[in-house]
Amino acid sequence: MGFPVLKGAAYALIHANDITTHQGSTQTSERRLNPDSDYLKELPKHYRTFEQAAAYPPNQVYIGNLEPKALNDIPRPWYENPVKGAVKDVRKGKHGEIMPLDEFIGLIKAVDAFDLVILEEKFQNKMYDVLKAHDVVGAWPFLEKLTKNHSDVATIKDSVDNHGSEPLYYEETLVGCVKKAHAFDEALSSHVMFENLVSKASAAFSLSLLFKNTGLDPADVDYIIECSEEACGDMNQRGGGNFAKSIGETCGCVNATGSDTRGFCAAPTHAMINAAALVKSGVYKNVIVVAGGASTKLGMNGKDHAKKGMPILEDVIGAFAAHIAEDDGTSPIIRTDIVGRHTVGSGASPQAVTQAIVADPLDRAGLKIADIDTFSVEMQNPEVTEPAGAGDVPTANYKMIAALGVMRKEFERTDLNNVVSKIAIPGFAPTQGHIPSGVPMLGHFKDIMEAGKLNRVMIVGKGSLFLGRLTNLFDGVSFVMEKNPGFTTDDSDDSDTSPVKRTKVALTLMGSEHGEAELLRGAELAQANNSDIQVVVIGSKHDTTLKSIVVVDEKEAHARMDSMLKSGELDAAVTMHYNFPIGVSTVGRVVTPAKGKNMLIANTTGTSDTVRNAALLKNTLQGVAVAKACGIARPTVGILNIDGARALERMLEGLKEKGYDINFTESARADGGAVMRGNDLLQGVPDVMVMDSLTGNVMMKTLSAFTTGGSYESIGDGYGPGVGDGYDRIINIISRASGAPVVAGALAFAANCAKGELLKKVNAEFAAAKKAGMDDVLKKFAEVSAPSKSEDSGDDTPTAPPEKIVTTEIPGIEILDLDDAVHVLWRAGIFASSGMGCTGPIVLVAPEDEAQVRKLLTESGHL
Amino acid sequence: MHDKYGKDDLIVLLGGAEAEASGLAAETVSAGDPTFAGPLAGVSLGLKAYHIVELKDEIDATVYEDQIAMMEMVIDVDAVIAEVANYRG
Repeated sequence: MGFPVLKGAAYALIHANDITTHQGSTQTSERRLNPDSDYLKELPKHYRTFEQAAAYPPNQVYIGNLEPKALNDIPRPWYENPVKGAVKDVRKGKHGEIMPLDEFIGLIKAVDAFDLVILEEKFQNKMYDVLKAHDVVGAWPFLEKLTKNHSDVATIKDSVDNHGSEPLYYEETLVGCVKKAHAFDEALSSHVMFENLVSKASAAFSLSLLFKNTGLDPADVDYIIECSEEACGDMNQRGGGNFAKSIGETCGCVNATGSDTRGFCAAPTHAMINAAALVKSGVYKNVIVVAGGASTKLGMNGKDHAKKGMPILEDVIGAFAAHIAEDDGTSPIIRTDIVGRHTVGSGASPQAVTQAIVADPLDRAGLKIADIDTFSVEMQNPEVTEPAGAGDVPTANYKMIAALGVMRKEFERTDLNNVVSKIAIPGFAPTQGHIPSGVPMLGHFKDIMEAGKLNRVMIVGKGSLFLGRLTNLFDGVSFVMEKNPGFTTDDSDDSDTSPVKRTKVALTLMGSEHGEAELLRGAELAQANNSDIQVVVIGSKHDTTLKSIVVVDEKEAHARMDSMLKSGELDAAVTMHYNFPIGVSTVGRVVTPAKGKNMLIANTTGTSDTVRNAALLKNTLQGVAVAKACGIARPTVGILNIDGARALERMLEGLKEKGYDINFTESARADGGAVMRGNDLLQGVPDVMVMDSLTGNVMMKTLSAFTTGGSYESIGDGYGPGVGDGYDRIINIISRASGAPVVAGALAFAANCAKGELLKKVNAEFAAAKKAGMDDVLKKFAEVSAPSKSEDSGDDTPTAPPEKIVTTEIPGIEILDLDDAVHVLWRAGIFASSGMGCTGPIVLVAPEDEAQVRKLLTESGHL
Repeated sequence: MHDKYGKDDLIVLLGGAEAEASGLAAETVSAGDPTFAGPLAGVSLGLKAYHIVELKDEIDATVYEDQIAMMEMVIDVDAVIAEVANYRG
């Protein structure tokens, strides 16, 4: 199963001056406290006409007629530079529509299931005719409500004045009212019912726009998640819900159910993640995320706008809808494996918040801030917020992301403004709380990605929970969306009907000296030869019947491989150029030339221990564990005649005396013994041939490539799984010279390790050796480390400087001096860690430290 | 707090990300709420307000690095300090 995709998004605005006056909370509060205030008297002079609001450039961006960055070319104030065009052209956009208030009042009545909305007869008749002719809502069956239950102005006025009904004005004329839904239940008061009907009607409008934009049949919707900031219910369950289903009913989603998700402004992003998870898990195929707007927020900053002689810019209700579905090979994918979340314990400083929401998910995925092309943050229109002293909200968010990048040493401080201008998108969304939060860019991102001009973006939603007076915690979540690699992964293999569960093994295709096609050939060979395994390839796009995951580079391939191993989607993997931690090394498998017998070489890459004797002992345990995982109950062990062979033999004898079961073999040479000669190597005398990993590496390459002239490894099963006490995954290594037969062998070898429960076998082997006194034996035989190149005695280990992301490999340091080299750097205040590279031990440092590190390590004699 | 400690032993610490809003808060606790919207409308407490970036030298460097350093890059420090200092008389 691939990642879920964003099939489409739709956006609706409703221009609503009269709701601003009569139901906006700034205005209703003012009317309560200062009924004769100048502000209320001045307010109507600052209203825009529908035409002005429709042609307002930020609104044109919201409905998709302008690209967001087009705002950079329009001089401020934007309200003085409207988009040119006839009303009918600016009213409708690629992503949605701006509707005038009279029509919207008609919709409020259409979505009212309890006959609470009463409209004046002529007004109602006119709206019925207008809406029936509308290309999107004209087909709503509920429009028929506009053919009955009308009233006259006197009755409506009486209902408002004397019976607590909420008035509905259009151009300052009373055209209707919303009655209360209960005699005294505050949760069903006329004002609450009005707000909820506005939310429902605007949401339903945006959902119908979505169906028009995407062609999705409403009957195909399985589930709806509504994520506005309203609450519906009665006094016994004030937020009981369910907006979602009521919206689905209006729009003809007869096969859907749904529920409401709340989280203040962060709710739409929560809802998107929930929707993606439902699709990814296979619970539902088509999920809708939808939210209507907030009538109370109209004119929220009206006083500041009026004071500064501006129009009341908060005169539109906003709504949106999005469709999340299974991978279609073209729509942007939602990376359900790269999700950020501000947790209860994350902390409240802007730095902690940005770290948790933006940086942590990228770290988990092995990505950097610079790997994200741009971000959708709180996309509030700055022309609304700046006069109210709230500044330019999106720009502040972009600055925070860039500043975090500086803190993390991804960018130079002097590059801060360059980074901001590279990632910034001007704000354009109405200040409706949840509406501007992350989701306004979904439609634009989809367009730009499908045009091939954007690869990877992050959607961020944040919310201030203190407003609910239950917690002071902040909240926020994020997810990453990517251009669809143009490939539908074959998930037919997931519905595996064979009685035996197939072992899933992945192969990363990139990095080979023989090209990706050679590795793919190996993968296909492995699949053809082994019906009990499923081979998955991770690499560029190829024409193959194998299940494929398309990635851009080796780094992403390793990140995907690691995350799939971690999640259990894969049982094992085969890759190259992969760094294991110290303590993990590989056990390879060769075909010995004399008799064509399989033999394990322990070990072939990596470092089991920085002390040679200890490494040899651990190599033995690891080799035995791999042999057992491959079905050899009591593998025979031989020690290659190298430096340290006799010491190892004595160590193993020591363990044997205390009950560790080691099955030494005898050399085929006349004088016998457990120490093996070159002849034994060629004959494959033991099941497990123990040696140090540098020697093992030479043996692997020699025995794999001696028939081909050297550059193509054609025999054997590769360098084997990385094994170490407590290591938690099965990753088999091949070399960049490995050919297709070795690749196929490596995949089968990896699958065998998974089926043979290698990880358990390793832990059992180490546990048995420890029980037999391994730690004491190691102490007794511990080599005295080679004289240190600095005064590092091991007792005064310096404290590590603050951790950084280290990606630059410094090779060429002796394994015994590796820790010492790291400590030299720590003392100089440079963070570094040690690891095992392809050709030997490496010190890992941050790229910007490389020059300084090389200088220090040269001075200390390590390089 | 003001009633308990008086204006000489109490300062107000601000963390606003923007000069105008920080100035507004500083003015509110010194001269009184200029918007006449809250409980300090017409109440002149005479408290001195400082923005957190002004007290950098007083704060443990590690804590500052963890909590403030990022925002220090984001906000217009000079403008904020100038605005807040305005209301300290």
